[in-house]
Amino acid sequence: MSASVRARRPASPPPGTSHAPPMTSQRFPHARQDHLDADMRRAAASKGLAPGRTKVYPLGGLHISSGEWKLLAVILIVASAVRLFRLSKPASVVFDEVHFGKFASKYIKTQYFVDVHPPLAKLLITLAAFVFGYDGSFDFKDIGKPYDDVPYVAMRLVPAVFGIATIPLSYLTLRGLDCRATTALLASLFLTFENAIVTQSRYILLDSPLVFFTALTIFFWVGFCNEDKHEPFTESWWFWLFMSGLSLGAVFSCKWVGLFTIATVGLSTIQQLWVLLGDLRVPPRVWMRHFVARALCLIVVPIIFYMGMFQIHFLILGSSGDGDGFMSSEFQHTLGGRGMLDTFADVAVDSQLTLRHVNTQGGYLHSHAHNYPGGSKQQQITLYPHRDSNNDWRIYNATWEAEHENGGLMYIKDKMRVKLEHISTGKRLHSHDVRPPVSDVDFQNEVSAYGMPGFEGDANDDWWVEIVHGDKRDSESTKRLRTLRTKFRLRHALTGCYLFSHKIKLPEWGFEQQEVTCNKNAVMANSLWYIETASHPDLPADAPKVNYKLPGFMAKFLELQQVMFITNAGLTDRHTFDSRPESWPRLRRGINFWVKDRTQIYLIGNPMVWWMSTLAVFSYIAVRGLLILRAKRGYRDFDNSRVVKYDGVCGFLFLGWFLHYFPFYLMGRQLFLHHYLPALYFGILLMSGVFDLVTSSLRPRVRLQIAGVLIILVVWNFAYFSPLAYGNQWTKSKCNNAKWLKTWDFSCNDFPDSYAEYTAAAGPTQHQAPANPTVAGGHNPPEAEPDAERTSAFEVKPEPGHDVFGGDHDAQSKAFPPPVVDEDAIIESVIRVTTEGAAEEAGSVDAASVSSEGESSSAAGSSSSSSDSSSSSSSASESSASSDSAADASSSAGANARPAKPAGPAGEAEAEAEQAAKDLFPDAV
Amino acid sequence: MAGKSQQTPRLRQRQVPAAATNVEYDRLRQDDHVADIFHQNPNTRHPIEKLLETRKASMIVVAVLTALAFALRFYKINQPDQVVFDEVHFGKFAAYYISREYYFDVHPPFAKLLFGLAGWFVGFDGKFLFENIGDSYIENHVPYVGMRALPAILGSLTIPVVYAIMKESGYSTAISAFSAAIILFDNAHIAQSRLILLDATFIFFMALTMYSYVRFQKLRYWAFSTEWWTWLTLTGVFMACVWGSKVNGVLTVAAVGIAVLIDLWDILDVRKDGHTMEHFWRHFTARAIGFILVPFIIYLSFFYVHFAVLIKSGPGDNFMSPAFQETLAGNEMLLNSQEIKYYDTVTIRHKDTKVFLHSHIERYPLKYEDGRISSQGQQVTGYGHNDTNNNWQIIPTKALPETGRGRFVRHGDLIQLLHINTQSHLLTHDVASPLMPTNQEFTTHPKDDRTRYNDTLFYININDGHDGEVIKSKAGHFRLIHAPTKVALWTHTKQLPDWAFKQQEINGNKAANDKTTTWFVEDVIATEGEDFANRTQAEAKQPKHMNFFKKFGELQLLMLQHNAGLTASHPYASGPINWPFLLSGISFWTESDTQKQIYLIGNVVGWWTCIIALSIYVGILGADLLARRRGLDPIPDPVRNRLWNSAGFFTLFWGVHYAPFFLMSRQLFIHHYLPSHLASAMVAGAVLSFILSETVNYPISVWGPTTRARPKLYADLGIKAPIIVAGFSVALGVVMLYFAPLTYGTPGLTGEQVNARRLLSTWTLHFAAKVTAEVAL
Repeated sequence: MSASVRARRPASPPPGTSHAPPMTSQRFPHARQDHLDADMRRAAASKGLAPGRTKVYPLGGLHISSGEWKLLAVILIVASAVRLFRLSKPASVVFDEVHFGKFASKYIKTQYFVDVHPPLAKLLITLAAFVFGYDGSFDFKDIGKPYDDVPYVAMRLVPAVFGIATIPLSYLTLRGLDCRATTALLASLFLTFENAIVTQSRYILLDSPLVFFTALTIFFWVGFCNEDKHEPFTESWWFWLFMSGLSLGAVFSCKWVGLFTIATVGLSTIQQLWVLLGDLRVPPRVWMRHFVARALCLIVVPIIFYMGMFQIHFLILGSSGDGDGFMSSEFQHTLGGRGMLDTFADVAVDSQLTLRHVNTQGGYLHSHAHNYPGGSKQQQITLYPHRDSNNDWRIYNATWEAEHENGGLMYIKDKMRVKLEHISTGKRLHSHDVRPPVSDVDFQNEVSAYGMPGFEGDANDDWWVEIVHGDKRDSESTKRLRTLRTKFRLRHALTGCYLFSHKIKLPEWGFEQQEVTCNKNAVMANSLWYIETASHPDLPADAPKVNYKLPGFMAKFLELQQVMFITNAGLTDRHTFDSRPESWPRLRRGINFWVKDRTQIYLIGNPMVWWMSTLAVFSYIAVRGLLILRAKRGYRDFDNSRVVKYDGVCGFLFLGWFLHYFPFYLMGRQLFLHHYLPALYFGILLMSGVFDLVTSSLRPRVRLQIAGVLIILVVWNFAYFSPLAYGNQWTKSKCNNAKWLKTWDFSCNDFPDSYAEYTAAAGPTQHQAPANPTVAGGHNPPEAEPDAERTSAFEVKPEPGHDVFGGDHDAQSKAFPPPVVDEDAIIESVIRVTTEGAAEEAGSVDAASVSSEGESSSAAGSSSSSSDSSSSSSSASESSASSDSAADASSSAGANARPAKPAGPAGEAEAEAEQAAKDLFPDAV
Repeated sequence: MAGKSQQTPRLRQRQVPAAATNVEYDRLRQDDHVADIFHQNPNTRHPIEKLLETRKASMIVVAVLTALAFALRFYKINQPDQVVFDEVHFGKFAAYYISREYYFDVHPPFAKLLFGLAGWFVGFDGKFLFENIGDSYIENHVPYVGMRALPAILGSLTIPVVYAIMKESGYSTAISAFSAAIILFDNAHIAQSRLILLDATFIFFMALTMYSYVRFQKLRYWAFSTEWWTWLTLTGVFMACVWGSKVNGVLTVAAVGIAVLIDLWDILDVRKDGHTMEHFWRHFTARAIGFILVPFIIYLSFFYVHFAVLIKSGPGDNFMSPAFQETLAGNEMLLNSQEIKYYDTVTIRHKDTKVFLHSHIERYPLKYEDGRISSQGQQVTGYGHNDTNNNWQIIPTKALPETGRGRFVRHGDLIQLLHINTQSHLLTHDVASPLMPTNQEFTTHPKDDRTRYNDTLFYININDGHDGEVIKSKAGHFRLIHAPTKVALWTHTKQLPDWAFKQQEINGNKAANDKTTTWFVEDVIATEGEDFANRTQAEAKQPKHMNFFKKFGELQLLMLQHNAGLTASHPYASGPINWPFLLSGISFWTESDTQKQIYLIGNVVGWWTCIIALSIYVGILGADLLARRRGLDPIPDPVRNRLWNSAGFFTLFWGVHYAPFFLMSRQLFIHHYLPSHLASAMVAGAVLSFILSETVNYPISVWGPTTRARPKLYADLGIKAPIIVAGFSVALGVVMLYFAPLTYGTPGLTGEQVNARRLLSTWTLHFAAKVTAEVAL
């Protein structure tokens, strides 16, 4: 009996399949020979299990023999060697380290920022940096910037360690899925020598932790499924389930694509429950227990974990930073340095106030001493997110009779006609029948600041106050304007349009601030305003004051989620190296990470691993489709336990691949090759599953030999492309040989002809003379310039998504005023301006425009201040057709197709219209 | 896994006895399993219901419904006598058909051809172009009533078709009338079919498609009979009409396709009837012919007619390729295009952004803001306006004959371009362009200095050109490929900074075959030598001929591209999630003096009933699935099969015509939901029938020669069905009349009346009474 193992191995169904054996199995018994192969027999023996009818359930994923533990240790050493090799090179910023290094700096400096990814992985990187004494002073500005006093190796170690830890997980997962040791070894070595995964795990990037936690989740989940088949509700059953939930939370807290892992586990759970439901021996009560246990561990636990991460995030980021502008005013108020002093609650005629737009985070109603280049050419009105004395307005009564009806304060009530004067320039908020600069549509009018000293203003300066809703706690606020409490609209008196703003930015001439228009069809939400601060000279110091209500954790959490979601969906810019999902499985193209000193780092997969995994996926689809068709025609393939087993294993892995890949097709945002890595992980496991199946009828020795050959090929491939992963020295000819596909666009011309040139050119002088400019008239035949071709043909750019928040190219946030400003000083200065404003109004306009113009700071300063003059002078110097060129310059990009509208006459017409209005309403003047 | 040879296939060797098969499987089989039917006694049936179920009564009901439909849709159809909403487009297209001028639109031509036909029939001369909403028809003498009658007729005829679908699917008269009434009294359907819009045609043919598919399906035991073939083909024909009316018709094709696939999947099942594969392939081929080949031929024929009618040059010319444009009589390209010779001075224009290739004396700054360095050569930019700096002379690189055809510039020639004003040659080299470090900088190089001669050489390649093809102005779209570096002359909409006067950047794109690298010669300014005057005299040219399939392919591609490009926002566009709940409508037309307006909004009672019915339907199926999983069997099999197959078919149409809109990023309007609404009305009927009784008319398929006899059943809804339906119809009618002023655009409403009709705050009706009172000056 013991010599020939005749035991029917239980058809160990993989996760999700029914425990009930196929109903027909009794009628068509299997051949009994090949159920336990040598591996299994040995494993069974090592556990002391007698061959026989004993059911051997793989418990969790950790029951492997001691020999395998040793094997795992070896694998681990190999993996460490591959991933840690020369980790400190290059000693400069690579690709998205620009962002994630910067975020670490901000965590350490506790400056608030916003990113599209949840915080877990960034927190871990920060932790490493912090432990190694990083003070957050490095700015991670550009790719290629040399590191200076940054523990970047420690920071890179975080992804690297996660990358190493993924390898044994893949081994154990496959063992848990009842694959052979050889198969598991194959998968783990394929992963070890996958160039893209290696590259991605060597730099400060989030994908390596993401792949690790994905692998961890799948490992725990496979373990749980095995436990579940064995006996539910045991202690270890709970353990595996709980750990699955916890690591699900971790995946989701690294990147939102963790949602795909949740979907994988979720679908698998639903299938389990569905099978359980069909098992009539399970009473509903037990089924409910199953259901509740899974809901608890797989829904509640991850959510708590996820929220916990954000709690830490908020705790660390206590002070103001460049992410403020994306949050609501209440939120900003919780940040150190952004708090606001209590402000007077009452608003009356002659109050000085700042107005905020309710629906967007565009900020305050703002004006500055720059004019619209087109339209009426009057002074710009924008929304500006930061505090500035140019946000200050004074409110006047526009009704003639009502003025001075009593001596006391005259509150601003509903349906009151008012004017708003911009304090620092002395001009009034104005609208007229001219199309706005960007939203050039019929139902919108331009809003400008208009007026001059001694000019009383006209009826186009008048606005009706319409209170929309107040605050429940403040009954007064529905009747008259109260600071922070009343949401109101401003309706233009003559044209009936509403003061309006939306998330559309003005071009450069408007410092990319948000556009403000007057909209006849205004959506309610975008035409709501409120008063943030108000002061009145006649109000006593003890008059009632108000301030923002501080949001709690939930409110902050939900708001941040919303901001992240909207921004994520809005990342639709193109990047030189972005790609669409359909190109990923065939590895059409990589990503250029870093180019410097005639070496480069280029993210490209191991073509053999990559293409074999894709092949495995598609052969699974083909075979499974064939099996379905055959089943429909009455073939009984699924009575074969081997088919059932591999169908389960491969089906689960395919589900994982599919769910980590397909949803990208639905995303409009910009995508990169590295988004495929989690799917690639499943692809490699699936390929190993296929390998297990294909070799299942072979003798173990033959199987091992085949695996050995495959592994050697993979290692050779890895070595072939490794200079691109490590940024090692390479030669032009080797590089050109490695261009297997035309579309792989690493630039071979950057490499020297031989290795000797590296040593020769080791001196500091030789590097990157920018593109050898051909001086006009110089003698430069192309063949005489060997270096001309060598220009780094690609500008290496980081993933631009994060710039949305980082705002490096955004003069506006760069010009963000230093966070530590004495609050009182600001307020005082504001008050001083209000009181002295009248005196120095005329003279100080220019000065104010320079000093208070936060947005036109250092970077943009020179161009902005001289923009008008330079464009006019340059148009004069244009050799011909100079009259058109001014119009050309003013017409926005893309508008070239249609002739530029002459701007002059419109301005005249405007003046005429105003004259007419003055004649019509003489009493308004 | 594939080769499982050790197991012999058991196919065909046994006829599986029903009892031996899996119980679970048996439940899923259609119509066969009638074990748990209780016996009915016809004598207890209510006489009124009995009466209603007679053929005569059914005819009377449908006649009444149809008459009402015509009345509601033709009532004051001449009102308003102005252009309303999208009549701007579709009226205009009809006018183009009559004047035979070529136009371009994203929708296929069938419905528009019908409008053209209707317009021609009622004597419309095609002069009026429907320019603006609110233009008067009376003043312009447009026989608009005749044109509006077409959709109104089709819209009215939709009602009996809906009734017939329900009746054919086995529902009782009252239930069928219920579904028809939901459509009959629906304000949105009425408003949409009273105007010159495509939707009425679309919906009518979609209903016909459903009807003929149901008829086809009922004949499944009579496969390959003449009648079966007839309905099969008719389904295909109607499907093509739907597809030919609007691009959304693709969804109808998809819905029918899914239904057919499910059907075929059933036929493939060997355990069901034990059919052979040959049997399956016969079915497969028949459906391929009926549902793919026939519709495609008909769809093609619409375009054939379209091209046959539109033979003159019109507003759509510019969308098409030069070859296409030359087939249109009077086309500018056909008339003014001339062949270009060497030493001609020309202006060259970019096809996409329409800027001229331009250069001027100013030079690139040595150092850019980001620290990169330029060649400091003369600037080459894209400029939108006419200017002598746009003039370039084409210089040969080979010896030319003195006269004759040898002097023409041909496809693949190596040329130089000489900038006239600065007497320098266009050049590009491996220096990064000002804005894009990945692309090459363009500059010029003095004419006399031959040191960089190689860098000034460009191949001129006509798109899809053949050897020896002569470059023509306007018509010849070409690429300029730099000979040494193989980059293409390219421009994009980014502007250069002030030092280049904010003109557009021009650079060398390494992706030389990119679509956007296309340029053409706008004009020939001057020519070397004698015959400039002679050459510009265009002889009267005949339109050329072009293969129909080429034309068709080109137009299809363009339609697809433009449909995807319709993303501009519109004040009345709404997201799909709003539609079933009727959260927003569309303002079609307003007239301020009389406070009249047309606002497209559905009948709230009808729409909300439909969406409730759909959720009940999903709930029933879900509960039934769960119950069966737990071994319970709450619903009798014929009833369940009816729910799955018949109501499922309607739900499929609803879903397929609705869900894809969630994935589209183009402008969406509530009228895109109308086809789905039609399907949901039928679901509502099915659900009502299920709620009222556990009986169905059974079987409804035509018995085949070998079908075994089964006990007959009838739907016994009792007297309550007619009463409920009558009551419901009255409610629908009242609500419809209440909103009628918004649907018919007459009479005008006072502000308070408008406010009363504004049930949801999201409806943006005009002329609402001001909530905010005016304060006098």
